[in-house]
Amino acid sequence: MMMPARPGTAESNNRLLEAAQIELSFGGIKSLDKVSFHVRQGEILSIIGPNGAGKTCLLNCISGYYRPQKGKIHFKNSNLLNLKAYQIARLGISRTFQSPALYPQLTALDNLLVARHIHTRSNMLDSILFFGKSRKEEMASRQAVEEIINLTHIEELRKRPVMMMSYGQRKQVEIARALVMQPELLLLDEPMSGLDDMMKEIIAELILNVQESGMTVILIEHDIEVVMGLSQSVVVLDFGQKIAEGPPQQVLRDERVIDAYLGNGHQ
Amino acid sequence: MRQRGKKRIDQTHEVAILKTSGQWIILGVTILLLVFLPFLLRWSGNVNQLMFINITMITIIAVLGLNIITGMAGQLSLGHAAFVMTGAFITGALTAKAGWPFWAALPAAALITAVIGVIVGAPSLRLKGFYLAVATLAFFLLAQFIIRNMDLFGGIFGLSGIPAPIIGGVRINDDTEWYYLILAFVLILTFFSVNLTRSRLGRAMFAVRDNDTAAASMGIQPYSTKLQAFFIGSLYAGAAGGLLSSYITVVRLDQFSMWDSIWYLGMMMIGGAGSTAGTIMGVIALSLIKQILHMMSMADWVPYFSNNWTYITSGIYGLVIIIFVSFQPYGLIALWKKMRANYKRWPFGY
Amino acid sequence: MTVILQLMLNGLLVGGVYGLIAMGFVVVYRSGRVFNMAYGQFAMLGAFMFWTFTGSPDDPRLPLPLAISLTLLTAIVFGLLVERVIFRRMIGKPEFTSFIMTLGLLAVLNSAVMIIWGPSTLALAKTVPTGPVNFAGITLSQEYIWTFLIALIIMGIFVLFFRRTRMGLAIRAAQSNQTASRCLGVSANLNSQIAWVLCTLLATLGGILIASVQGASTLLSELVMVVLIVVLIGGMDSFAGCVIGGLILAIGENMANYYLGPTVPGIGSIFGIFMILVILLFRPHGIMGANPVERV
Repeated sequence: MMMPARPGTAESNNRLLEAAQIELSFGGIKSLDKVSFHVRQGEILSIIGPNGAGKTCLLNCISGYYRPQKGKIHFKNSNLLNLKAYQIARLGISRTFQSPALYPQLTALDNLLVARHIHTRSNMLDSILFFGKSRKEEMASRQAVEEIINLTHIEELRKRPVMMMSYGQRKQVEIARALVMQPELLLLDEPMSGLDDMMKEIIAELILNVQESGMTVILIEHDIEVVMGLSQSVVVLDFGQKIAEGPPQQVLRDERVIDAYLGNGHQ
Repeated sequence: MRQRGKKRIDQTHEVAILKTSGQWIILGVTILLLVFLPFLLRWSGNVNQLMFINITMITIIAVLGLNIITGMAGQLSLGHAAFVMTGAFITGALTAKAGWPFWAALPAAALITAVIGVIVGAPSLRLKGFYLAVATLAFFLLAQFIIRNMDLFGGIFGLSGIPAPIIGGVRINDDTEWYYLILAFVLILTFFSVNLTRSRLGRAMFAVRDNDTAAASMGIQPYSTKLQAFFIGSLYAGAAGGLLSSYITVVRLDQFSMWDSIWYLGMMMIGGAGSTAGTIMGVIALSLIKQILHMMSMADWVPYFSNNWTYITSGIYGLVIIIFVSFQPYGLIALWKKMRANYKRWPFGY
Repeated sequence: MTVILQLMLNGLLVGGVYGLIAMGFVVVYRSGRVFNMAYGQFAMLGAFMFWTFTGSPDDPRLPLPLAISLTLLTAIVFGLLVERVIFRRMIGKPEFTSFIMTLGLLAVLNSAVMIIWGPSTLALAKTVPTGPVNFAGITLSQEYIWTFLIALIIMGIFVLFFRRTRMGLAIRAAQSNQTASRCLGVSANLNSQIAWVLCTLLATLGGILIASVQGASTLLSELVMVVLIVVLIGGMDSFAGCVIGGLILAIGENMANYYLGPTVPGIGSIFGIFMILVILLFRPHGIMGANPVERV
């Protein structure tokens, strides 16, 4: 496992993802207005802001669902705007969705196995013959998935169909699914929403664990305590514009941020 | 979190198709029965049923192909009969007109059909659901039009005198020998189909079927997956067609109609879309119904029935589909699994 | 010049009827995402019911108005029946399932019609005046003119209903968002019933119109192919598209038959397929169809 680079040190100034001047409109509505930000390798960055500010839109631009009309997004050496969603996934970016995008009739285990797609190589012929390459990869995939299951503590859910899981359990499986892809950059869209405090702690601990293993995380979150506790960097969006960026303590005292989003209860 | 003991998971066991020794025994018995079936039929005086069985097996191959395209990858195909037709005509043309041996003609025809399948599936990039279905339907009509107007395929009269395959220097010439040949195809192709469901490509197909946006976010290429499904599915159908035309020795346009595509879909749904075993069950079930109705009409119990046998059969097929899909939308295979689960829990009800 | 005009006018007349018929298909697609493959059978059933009431030229039965009313009544009953027995339980299930149901229905209805009325074409007692109409060097058939005008009137009523009445508005709302409109007091079941009744009514009217010209025959079951091409061209969820699609298909078929018929026999039937390919390449959702935007 890579030793994580602690933010603020020389090695960590390596920018993993850089977004510049992103503009995204739907018809007459401007969702993102010249948004620029960057994420450094190994850090946890939170995107916060009121509902409708464009946070999910930004994540969608990064992962390839929306194509911004203007702007640039660079990940390592690639321009993400030229790539399709599945190509971006193969580069090492994985994401979760606000409503878990799991397959309801499949078990948690099967859902996780689907996510192993980019780490396996069998082609059509291998698949139908099965014995040989495909089988070896199958066993390896299942082993890898078991490790993630252990890491995320969802052992009881292994063989349960997703449609029989509670919301919190689905969120856990959704994160596990994103982790199975072994990304370098993990995009989490409101992983804590709708969960109780105990689940929130579990997920927060999980996020810290994955950071320790070298992953970079971008997190959309509304819970300010979580944001304070986890992130090294915070970006604030409001009405499609970035109104602040920086370390959490600094951002959360910013006048504009307090006006737009926080209110005065967070002094 | 409290440390708990880690369950030891045997991956070989997880991956295997047949998990218990009981299942191996059932498989063995089934294979034995299949191998000895012709002799059993002869002994019970029912040898003429062999033709029905052969045709049913060919249908199984065709519908397994549809299961891959529609059941597994979720691309609704209303023109599947066209692929069977294509395989039948190309095989016939190659063997009867160009003098190719069966063992060269069948793979060639199947491959050509598979390529045509990919072309038919090409619109799936931008078309979803019913729009794609109409495109496949259009292909069926187009195929009919092309075949009707090409002398190579004998125009409206079709081709006749299609020679049977030669194995080990001996030409196959009766139902029993055909039975074993077709059975071999069915067993191998079923094996491939089951392998597909537990492999990377099959899983990708299921993912694309149920939510192709989420699939893309996991690195799966939806378009490529769909095209591969069309390739394999049409390959199966083409092979079925080639077997059919060689078996019946004639191939004519009127052997294939829209109704076939509809029945294929019905068989697949009744058995369980996406499931290999389910599809086989569905084909057998509906074929049995048809055969029973046919025998009833031959026996002339009810004269009215015998005259209108074809219409009544389609009507009953339709009724079966409606009733079954209303109550068991997941098919016979789901019903079977439920029964097994209940059996395991018996006498407890929960 | 007159040739082109003749072809176009003929196409207009036929296309208008195509458009009307296609609307019945669109109604249930918009309402419940049901792709009704059995639509041709609905039309066929309607035409044969009409024959039962109105009789053939040498055996006329009931007077025209009575025959039509009875036929429409059976169409309404049939629509309610189909909705209640089959499609009400399909609300909320994946659209593929209800599609398979329509396939089953297709088979059942086809058999029923064959068994009850037999496979031959039955001529209808005269419903609309026949005979040619000549003007400006163009010959049109009166039957086509009459059927076109009737189709036009029906379409007009239909559009008025949807756009001007409260019930029409409620149905359109329910079609956009079933859950929300339930909260506002629009019954989902009622919406489903109305959609299916409209479907059978339009199918029956279409069947009657076509049978008036061609006789009641099992070829009417092929009508679904025409409808599919029309809604593909025009857009599966657009009524205006039906009209446009109908016109394009009919005029196009006429032109293709006239100009290319001699060189390629049967080009008319292939024209439909050609149109499908063109549409799929350039405007896959139809000319007036809405391209659904996926939200993640």
